[in-house]
Amino acid sequence: MLEIKNLHVRIEEDGTEIIKGLNLSVAAGEVAAIMGPNGSGKSTLSYVLSGKEDYEVTEGSITYNGQDLLELDVAERAAAGVFLAFQYPVEIPGVPTMTFLKEAMNAQRKERGEAELTTPDFIKRVRAAAGDLKIDFNMLKRPVNVGFSGGEKKRAEILQMSLLEPKLCILDETDSGLDIDALKIVSDGVNHLRDPNRAVIVITHYQRLLDHIVPDSVHVLSNGQIVKSGDKSLAIELEEKGYADIIAAAA
Amino acid sequence: MTAHTPRILTDAETSLLDAYVAAGNTNAARDAAIAQLKDNGLPTRRVEAFHYTDLRALLKAGYSVASRPTEELAKTVGAQFPRLVTGASVQHFRDGHFFDFGEALPKGATVVAELPEAKPLGGNEDATALINTAFAQDGLTLSIAEGAEIEQTIGLAYAHTGSANTIAAQRFAINAAANSTSTIVYRAVGLEDVQYLSSSVVDLDIADGATVTFTMSIEEGNLAQRLGRLNVSLGNGAKLNLFILNVGGKLVRQEVNFDVVGENVDLNISGVNLIGGESHIDVTSRITHHTPNTNSTETFRNVATGRGRGVFQGQINVRQAAQLTDARMACNTLLLSDDCDFSAKPELEIFADDVQCAHGATVTDLEDSYMFYLMARGISETNARRMLIKAFVAEIVEDLEDKGLAEGLEGRIDTWMEKHV
Ligand SMILES: Nc1ncnc2c1ncn2[C@@H]1O[C@H](COP(=O)(O)OP(=O)(O)OP(=O)(O)O)[C@@H](O)[C@H]1O
Ligand SMILES: [Mg+2]
Repeated sequence: MLEIKNLHVRIEEDGTEIIKGLNLSVAAGEVAAIMGPNGSGKSTLSYVLSGKEDYEVTEGSITYNGQDLLELDVAERAAAGVFLAFQYPVEIPGVPTMTFLKEAMNAQRKERGEAELTTPDFIKRVRAAAGDLKIDFNMLKRPVNVGFSGGEKKRAEILQMSLLEPKLCILDETDSGLDIDALKIVSDGVNHLRDPNRAVIVITHYQRLLDHIVPDSVHVLSNGQIVKSGDKSLAIELEEKGYADIIAAAA
Repeated sequence: MTAHTPRILTDAETSLLDAYVAAGNTNAARDAAIAQLKDNGLPTRRVEAFHYTDLRALLKAGYSVASRPTEELAKTVGAQFPRLVTGASVQHFRDGHFFDFGEALPKGATVVAELPEAKPLGGNEDATALINTAFAQDGLTLSIAEGAEIEQTIGLAYAHTGSANTIAAQRFAINAAANSTSTIVYRAVGLEDVQYLSSSVVDLDIADGATVTFTMSIEEGNLAQRLGRLNVSLGNGAKLNLFILNVGGKLVRQEVNFDVVGENVDLNISGVNLIGGESHIDVTSRITHHTPNTNSTETFRNVATGRGRGVFQGQINVRQAAQLTDARMACNTLLLSDDCDFSAKPELEIFADDVQCAHGATVTDLEDSYMFYLMARGISETNARRMLIKAFVAEIVEDLEDKGLAEGLEGRIDTWMEKHV
């Protein structure tokens, strides 16, 4: 589903290279975990996958379902099924959450040639999804993420994900800021979306999340490269020993 | 002493004088106004109040006073401009002429459909009003009776019916008697792709204890030139909530003058200026606090794009007697294209010592991180921009108490965005 080859990315503004020859492939149906030290380039990779403008790809390729992902703009990638659950979801004053959700759902339906949702149908879906994630429906009457607590923001990201039904889900530290119960609820939400036609990339610092969302593969990102890949036992190993040995071995 | 050399009139000035003679509608006040225009000419940038709007350069030549359109045209043109609010009682003007379509006024409101007297004027800093005095065809006086509490919205609607290069000028006087409450919507509309000159003066007198909610929706056609002035006087304990929407027009100069002459006045002014295409929209405001213990707030949100040019001049004068004045002004602008611009000039003249005055002006573009977030959910760039623009102006519009009116105005904003964003 996703094939990243020899990817080099630098920050457009100052030219600093952050991703330095990264290779990664994720198959349909797979849950891949990416772990790695702070500042290693995990969020950068997720931004590059979703098409954020501040980065420049200088080398390499990203192929998504046979398509050159780098040719699409942000909205087109989303319409093609790429979804990023942000590490830091932004607050957008003045844009009502419900208006935003409806606009997003209909934009993607339109792209797929489906009819727009009627208002009652839309509200029904949001209510159901919010219920599953234990999100108070009244919270959704506020502007997008405005005044949401850290954990509420993360839950709202997963709410959007379940409403938009993407094909490639990228979760950037969705577990940070969640309490123990919320972690379970959010993980259930993600597991619910597991599907042979859907791939999930889980970026996390903690093995704990991977107890709930059990990954098919685990990759260590360090200094802009995947330095080691393995199965779920790699995450357990990292939890015990830290990154030092692996990074030293790769260098 | 230097000899007074006669100034050479511009084409626009000459044609105004010719139009005046051709119309043949003269009296002493009109003659005096025309003489002023002839002697001093239209104002240029050198006249402080016109610093950003060089009327002498911008006003087109070749206008003549509009004749009265047929009853049928007057009626049918309205269909192109769906009402902003339902259930209002509306007084209609077409091309400067009054039409009685027999809409019943609410109890407590009366209308005299005669041109009200023009206020005395100064030199060419008053050009807007001088042109109105010289050319006003029709007008009316709306009176709200003492103590009347009128729920129904009263509309003053002006439409230009499309005869090219005509002047349509009207003048309104509104007297809200003591302790009355009323809601008034003033609306100016005109057809697209027709050049015309629209002139409008409104004198609003709010007596002691009266509350007026006044909305101006200025939706002139894309080639229209408009010179408008609103004069407001507020007595003891008077309250005004004024909202202004500017959307459209090639040249719009809207002056808003407030004289706070009573104590304990509460004056709230807000507005949205949408400046796209080739529009030049200038809102020039002057608030004078003459008396102690009064509040004024003034908030404008502006969106400029295309080759639009916007101006906001906000003057606050606090006279020596006006202790404990609290005056606040904010002007926030979104600049969306390389070729648009906006000039904001706040001006405080304070002669009292115990006052609170604040003003702030900001200019921004749409926030990149918001754009990315919206687009990352599949919302197209255009729609994401529209959502954020809407959010920027909605904060002001949503504050309006009349939700039906707010919805009507938002509809106008949406239509503008469909065309310009
Ligand atoms: N727009 C930017 N401008 C300057 N530096 C940037 C920018 N984006 C990323 N960086 C730098 O790139 C490096 C990688 O950042 P990134 O956010 O991808 O790390 P991360 O692996 O997600 O870290 P964490 O685990 O702390 O979330 C960091 O050193 C960061 O400071
Ligand atoms: Mg990160």
